[in-house]
Amino acid sequence: MTTQEATTWIAILFQESVESLTPETPRDAVPAWDSLGELTMMADMDEKFGIVLTDSQLRAMTRVDDILQVLRNNGKITD
Amino acid sequence: MRFLLVDEILELVPGQHIRATKTMDPGEELFKDHFPGFPVVPGVLLTEMMAQAAGKCLAAEDASRGRPMLAKITSASFREWVTPGQAALIEARIRSSRVQFATAECHIEVNGRVVAESSLLFSFAPHDQFASGWRDEVLERFQKKARG
Repeated sequence: MTTQEATTWIAILFQESVESLTPETPRDAVPAWDSLGELTMMADMDEKFGIVLTDSQLRAMTRVDDILQVLRNNGKITD
Repeated sequence: MRFLLVDEILELVPGQHIRATKTMDPGEELFKDHFPGFPVVPGVLLTEMMAQAAGKCLAAEDASRGRPMLAKITSASFREWVTPGQAALIEARIRSSRVQFATAECHIEVNGRVVAESSLLFSFAPHDQFASGWRDEVLERFQKKARG
């Protein structure tokens, strides 16, 4: 998966347009990135990528790039 | 009407799958409004049947993480009318089950035809938020029967 594809996945997850998200986009700027969004992300990460997020990883996510970084660290982003 | 939307569990593999039944009483007051002269079981109740069945499957797996609570209806579709008095066969398959969340794919059949489907996301609420001494009668009845 490319970074662009991963960003598209994040945009769909949080019901945002891809154009509105950059790696620097903060969590506060994404209304659907609330507790339910967090739960949805955990479930999707698990089922789509086999990544089980820990509570500390979740707490550390404050911008889009933090999500991308988890995917990178797990070898899911190739570019 | 009590909000108990599973009458009986037929089959249960904790944390994996469940088959259960529910038949809505035609005398329920809600059918006067849904709809006048054309009573059908509301889609929200069909969804709740699937959620309650899946919830029992999760509760039977690991009660320590709390009580399963429907967090999100990821998708739901209703293919055919279900009329009061028809026996709904509810099936749920747990797709993932973790400490913080679980997901389930569910459907309902009536007379061998799929009438509703849903994809559900659950979170877990601590037991101390609920009335002390609360027990799931339907689940307990099945477990007792299964033990013989």
